[in-house]
Amino acid sequence: MDADIARTPSPVLGLDDRPMWDSIRDRAMRLQRCCGCGTWQYPPGPGCTACLSENLEWRPVSGKATIISWVVFHRQYLAAYPAPYNAIAVRLAEGPVMISNLEGDPPEGSWIGRQVRLVYAEMPDGAVLPRFALQA
Amino acid sequence: MSVTAGAATSGGAPRLRRAAAVVGIGHTDWVRDWGRARAGEKPADSYGYAMQAFSAALRDSGLQREAIDGLIAGPTTAYERLGEVLGIDPRWGDQADAVLSVVQACTAIEAGLAEVVAIVYGNDQRTAGTQYGGPQAMGGDAFLSYVYHSPWGLTSQGALYALTFQAYKHARGMTEAELGEVAVAQRGWSSMNPNAIMRKRITVEDYMASTYVCEPLHLFDYCLINDGGVAMIIAEAERAKQICANPVFIEGIGRSDLNRGATSLEPRLTEFYLPAQQQAAARSYAMAGAGPEDMDVFQVYDSFSVHVPLALEGYGYCPVGEAGKFLREQGIGPGGRLPTNTGGGHLSETYMQGWAHQIECVRQLRGTCGERQVQDCRRVHYTSDVAGKAVSLIYGR
Repeated sequence: MDADIARTPSPVLGLDDRPMWDSIRDRAMRLQRCCGCGTWQYPPGPGCTACLSENLEWRPVSGKATIISWVVFHRQYLAAYPAPYNAIAVRLAEGPVMISNLEGDPPEGSWIGRQVRLVYAEMPDGAVLPRFALQA
Repeated sequence: MSVTAGAATSGGAPRLRRAAAVVGIGHTDWVRDWGRARAGEKPADSYGYAMQAFSAALRDSGLQREAIDGLIAGPTTAYERLGEVLGIDPRWGDQADAVLSVVQACTAIEAGLAEVVAIVYGNDQRTAGTQYGGPQAMGGDAFLSYVYHSPWGLTSQGALYALTFQAYKHARGMTEAELGEVAVAQRGWSSMNPNAIMRKRITVEDYMASTYVCEPLHLFDYCLINDGGVAMIIAEAERAKQICANPVFIEGIGRSDLNRGATSLEPRLTEFYLPAQQQAAARSYAMAGAGPEDMDVFQVYDSFSVHVPLALEGYGYCPVGEAGKFLREQGIGPGGRLPTNTGGGHLSETYMQGWAHQIECVRQLRGTCGERQVQDCRRVHYTSDVAGKAVSLIYGR
């Protein structure tokens, strides 16, 4: 790899995270859904945090979400993220909260409550990240 | 649905009420060491700072080292090496953060496992260049949320609180200028504290003109990062009365943790830790037989200013949704309704991860705070909510 290309910070890859990141690389993000009580969860884990069932299935998400908070970094901490850049918290239609970034032009005024859809961003080093863009 | 252990007012620990008292406090000269560190020197390592603080606490108590039969090491030093450096072979030992060190000392004393417990903290975080952000952030081994979101560039502790405040101000209608009252008030206190690193008074205008680090948080919303050490000696209540004329008793303890959804930050972003704080408050107030109206001084763990409005609401000092109004109209600075972080806190005095707050509680109750002394101080309330683990501690004379 070109030494000048900033590396995207590596994700935490616990045993249960790998299938999710494989699905992200395939641009079809899947999360765990409990076969017992139907709860979706993020981050992935060894069992359902709602009912402790270990019977989970990997299901594709709808990609629909709503922004519940956002920040703009004015300092650079990471080579892959020159300032300014944003981070958002979204609530997925399936229920879980996820941290990500908003792609494209930011909305006027508060971002909270804006409807967004899942997109897949390819970073300069080839890493694929699930991000979100405003619903047209 | 949330699962809560016991009703709000049960689950307390009435036997621990006034079971133990602080008889000695000590700390390093972090003002001097701040200057030395900025000049490129390395005054001490974490163990050196811990030793200086312990020696000062021992002198303050008038006890001989041999009287110490319990030792709790703070999280930044290894327990065994700290005991070795201090030359203590106790009959009971443990490792904990600031507030839980006090709780565990009380627990061990009440259970008869120890009678005189030293709790000791040293941290060379400034000169060691400890990183509280980044993919390998300090604390990431204990809190997955500190490292899990690094692929999206969200790694700094400040960013977690910036996200919290953005959602909070949307939900409650609080403004950035109202949050600025926290930093302004604490600088007002630190201007009267010769032990504080940052002593120049600031105004809300200064605050609003300061740069954003992670918007919506400004530079003044962030704590210092400096070297230092703090120690306290806690003794069984009757023994404490023999040791000194002004023991400071632990009267109330409450705790409530929010672990569910913690990695995706849900308890911070949707409820602002409120349920945990309310539970911890109820338990500690019931144990102490007192309420927020009985507290003369409030001390809040303030790695970021945002902790303060959350705590004002969570611990019942103002109605939920009115912390901004309280900060603006009632005030937490000198002359304000509720003196809060009277030493200057993490924002302006020193970042000792809650440890310096404990000795400020004791100094206010001893009446030794000089210019910043709160008159007739009888009860002091300390709270922390690090990563949604709410702990409430009430000290009294």
